[in-house]
Amino acid sequence: MNIDDTLLMAYVDNALSPDERQCVEKKLDGSAEAASHVALLRASRLPYQQAFAHQKLPPVPENLKRKIEQMVRAFASNDETIEQYGGGIAVPMQGRCTPRVAPAWLAVAFVAGAFGWAGLLRLGPGATPDIMSASASLESQGASPWVRAAANYQQLYTRDTLAHLDPDLRLSERIVDEIRRDDGIAVSIPDLSSIGLEFKRVQRLRFHDKPLVQIVYLPKSGGSPVALCVTKEAKPDHAIAAQDIDDMDVVTWRQAQQGYALIGKTDGMDLNMLGKQLSEGGGEQLY
Amino acid sequence: MSAADLPSMLPDLLPRLWAFALRISRDQHDAEDLVQRACLRALERSHQLKPDTSPLSWMFSIVHSTWINELRARNVRNRTSMEWDDSFLETVADPAARNPETDVMNRQVVSAVEQLPEAQRAVMLLVAVEGLSYHEAAEVLDVPIGTVMSRLSRARQAVGARFLTREDRKVKTAAKSKDAAS
Repeated sequence: MNIDDTLLMAYVDNALSPDERQCVEKKLDGSAEAASHVALLRASRLPYQQAFAHQKLPPVPENLKRKIEQMVRAFASNDETIEQYGGGIAVPMQGRCTPRVAPAWLAVAFVAGAFGWAGLLRLGPGATPDIMSASASLESQGASPWVRAAANYQQLYTRDTLAHLDPDLRLSERIVDEIRRDDGIAVSIPDLSSIGLEFKRVQRLRFHDKPLVQIVYLPKSGGSPVALCVTKEAKPDHAIAAQDIDDMDVVTWRQAQQGYALIGKTDGMDLNMLGKQLSEGGGEQLY
Repeated sequence: MSAADLPSMLPDLLPRLWAFALRISRDQHDAEDLVQRACLRALERSHQLKPDTSPLSWMFSIVHSTWINELRARNVRNRTSMEWDDSFLETVADPAARNPETDVMNRQVVSAVEQLPEAQRAVMLLVAVEGLSYHEAAEVLDVPIGTVMSRLSRARQAVGARFLTREDRKVKTAAKSKDAAS
């Protein structure tokens, strides 16, 4: 029998059979080092649970309780839930990827001019007439189940959820590759930094066992996260349409058999204009 | 226990998740953010919770992995160099304690565990404080069970050294006192 840490801990904790104890004690007779370890381990037999039970901790913050209850309600009451799979939480990155040529699906025209990014900052009601008409049309039809699920999911995100998350560009690049290769969704990550939206992460989600991509941004100047969600939708194209789902503003469109939903609480940001520009293509891409 | 039960269980688990998050992060704001993110991740991945897995240890696992990711994101390589903030976590005198020595002992035990290196402290919190089995702790920390045993042994020896030294000091002091008296 070799004397190792596991055996010595079992020995001092009286977890060995009489024969095993006898064997260990014989070995201890010939090893001052092992005997020293035993002495230390014996001294470590302490009332840990009792000690920590008396440790004074701050109570669970009421704000945290409320947030957890809100999450629980959202998940418990919604059968149309979204599940996460694939890449996890971002880990640190050393650098920023060079913007690449945008795939055809999202050739967003992020250029100065009539629809430059500066125009997206809301200075007043920002919806254009075509958006309003499309919106009315969509609302009469009701939101797609995946859009509703994505909006409910996005409601769980607060600024605090993402504020301390440093974007992991290498992991994000890998996830984008997986989305293109495994999920068959032609997706790129638009670089929206010029309008004050910092890319935080991209996630592979599932809705009704179908892949759903969530790209999350956080406004640098404050405010709630904004998400661009994409899934496969084998239906005809439709122009952008705006609607409210609970507390969330949602702008949707469909192109090339892919459905898009831009979701957020638009404090200061005109999602309609942003959605219009994303749907029209062009602009810088992170991946 | 099924994945569908998780939402109803989370509020009851919250106090222990909060305590665990506080103890590993050592910061109230970090702990609050940590618990919130862990609960969201758990709800998102509730389908991954197996019927034979303890929901508590599964949640500990998510809290811990979320924290490790956060540390990596902050590029913090060694949190053990951080000073413990006694202002928000302290072991206070228990008014119900009949024996003041017990109270002193409690403080010393907590202090000894708090000063362990991060990896050893996490194992001690899970095994000695939360009562997880070695196997469960290995799953929470996503390390082989041998690593848990090794860390636990080193942690216990480090804690034992503090108490052993203290006992030795007492004996020496007592011996000196005797010598002085005689």
